[in-house]
Amino acid sequence: MKRTFTALLALFAVVALVRAEDKVPLQLELPKPLFAGTPRPIQIPNLEPPLVGKRPDFMVPAGTALLSKGKPVTGSDTLPTIGELSFVTDGDKSGIDGTIVELGPTPQWVQIDLGAPAKLAAIVIWHFHSQARVYHGVIVQASDDPAFKKGVVTLFNNDDDNSCGLGKGTDKAYIETNAGKIVDGKGTTARYVRLYSNGNTSDELNHYCEVEVFGQPAK
Amino acid sequence: MLLFCQRGAPFLLIGLAAFFLRTFDLARRPMHADEANQAVKLGLLLETGRYEFDARDHHGPTLYYFAAPIAWLRGQTSLVALDETTVRLVPAIAGTISVLLLGALAFPLGRGPALIAAALMAVSPPAVYYSRYFVHETLLVTFTLAALVSAQQWWRHARPLWAIAAGGCGGLMLATKELAPLFVTAALLGVIVVRAKPVSSSITRGATLALFAALIIAFLFYSSFGANFGGLRAAIEALGIGVTRATGVSGHEKPWWYYLRLFEWERRGGIVWQQLGFTALAVAGVGVAVLSGKKMLRWAAVYVAVLAIVMSLVPYKTPWHAIHFVPALALLAAGAWAAIPNGVVAAFVVLAAVAMQGFQTYRAAFVYPADERNPYAYVHSSPDVLKFRALVVAALAHTPQLPIRIISEEYWPLPWYLRGLPRIGYWPAPPDDCDGALVIASAKQAEAVRSRLHGNYRETFLGLRPGFLCVVFVKNTPSP
Repeated sequence: MKRTFTALLALFAVVALVRAEDKVPLQLELPKPLFAGTPRPIQIPNLEPPLVGKRPDFMVPAGTALLSKGKPVTGSDTLPTIGELSFVTDGDKSGIDGTIVELGPTPQWVQIDLGAPAKLAAIVIWHFHSQARVYHGVIVQASDDPAFKKGVVTLFNNDDDNSCGLGKGTDKAYIETNAGKIVDGKGTTARYVRLYSNGNTSDELNHYCEVEVFGQPAK
Repeated sequence: MLLFCQRGAPFLLIGLAAFFLRTFDLARRPMHADEANQAVKLGLLLETGRYEFDARDHHGPTLYYFAAPIAWLRGQTSLVALDETTVRLVPAIAGTISVLLLGALAFPLGRGPALIAAALMAVSPPAVYYSRYFVHETLLVTFTLAALVSAQQWWRHARPLWAIAAGGCGGLMLATKELAPLFVTAALLGVIVVRAKPVSSSITRGATLALFAALIIAFLFYSSFGANFGGLRAAIEALGIGVTRATGVSGHEKPWWYYLRLFEWERRGGIVWQQLGFTALAVAGVGVAVLSGKKMLRWAAVYVAVLAIVMSLVPYKTPWHAIHFVPALALLAAGAWAAIPNGVVAAFVVLAAVAMQGFQTYRAAFVYPADERNPYAYVHSSPDVLKFRALVVAALAHTPQLPIRIISEEYWPLPWYLRGLPRIGYWPAPPDDCDGALVIASAKQAEAVRSRLHGNYRETFLGLRPGFLCVVFVKNTPSP
């Protein structure tokens, strides 16, 4: 009887532990695809293969929520040539004219202030999804320091030639689509998320349609 | 002096403004594949003294023969020495001259309208953009205007020299592009419709002189000044090839309203492109032409209508053809401006039109010169092309025993950017041996190339133009 009770107790403990670590698929609202006609074929080895069909679910802890919507955005280009920095978190990721902010040439960054430290689950990026193109030097960092001088955690870096000057990255380049790019937040606790890029295969400019940061408030 | 200040200075100022817009920071935009291809052909002319007209490509000889003296003046006598500024100076100078020629052509409308026409041409977005572009179009416009001014002078004064000059410029038109007969036909149709009568009683004599001069000039250029008589036969073949290309499947087919759109309004990727002020004035000029009976305006209306109909009906369309509409539209706009009775309103209208055009030109030529949203940047090279040379130079230094391989179905403008560098080869398909110090492969051929590489390569990628990516394989060699 005692052994049975102990076994049941252990089972309950395991179940409780598993439930605490429950993960659920990240729920994303994807914009409509904007490719008119057949996308131009781009198949290169250091690119992720083009998405065919439904993307595998990206699992995040239960209770994960969108934290970035409407949050203030700052950037290295304070006078974007097209659009406004607030477009980055305005919730409109349709990608049509008037929903994209365009930053000038050379490495540029945008930074989202979540308002309070949060445990990051995922960062989803839509640079520009009305044409198949690849952005150079995409780096995603998180920190509690708004100046990103200390406590910086790099979550993604495909800057293979260190053109942004933050060190070479080994992550793969990817083709922009309406599905966006999901970057694993790895449970990092940070208040600020900063995203870099350095032009793209079509022009020297840097674009953001939307960035969504998912996570939970840090306890 | 006072007379010059009153009459000549405004034209001089417009000419200077036109020259500035056409020459400032000429090397700013990456070379388009066509520009690069033609610049390499110019380099061969400089190095070998030889030029042979090719009926299938590259259009006429004038671009190269006019570019060569500029290269010599700048001390550039080889392909390696050539630079973007030198080759683009040819259309830039021609474009500036075209502004002054339009002013001269418009003079019968009055000094004011002539100034307005020249000013509108000076700041016209397509005219400025393609005056900074090493292609034939601006030369063709300039020779057309020179022929028209000469013909106008012959019409009014009956001096044979003007007929010869008109013919000579017509010959230069023919030696520039296969499209030239269209403009001659449109101009003649305009003359017939408005029933203009020349001072000379012998039209046949003037026409004969002009035709003779045109043939001599065309003969000289197409035969490479007597060095290649095969070029003459090729010139005749080129007309047929041009017609076939214009009416067949070329990949450049566009809807009939394509050119009209360039002169009205459109939004591309958040950027508005428009020429509404200019076009509205020109349309008003058609009304003025009908009501006033001014022959020059009526001629311009017929001329531009013929061009619009023919070029809209032909499936083959490229944005650089748009500059052929600009002179006649500027004449009509100037005619409309002259018909505004209130001086203040007229001043406001012209300032607004010039300012709107100037702003569009600023964006097209200086802010977004290679951006695919720019309607004039047609299938343009990506700024990434500027990165290839540094990669190749580094690879040659790092791995001096191996070649540089470019394996791609398309590779222009790379031969321009890699000019003068050793051990570079081009393959349309992967050869058996793909190894090199650096291998540039099109995305389409990258997998086949990779399978034939031996050793350790680092891979990266660059864009050749929007939608066309290259994989760059860099040979990793052990550090000494």
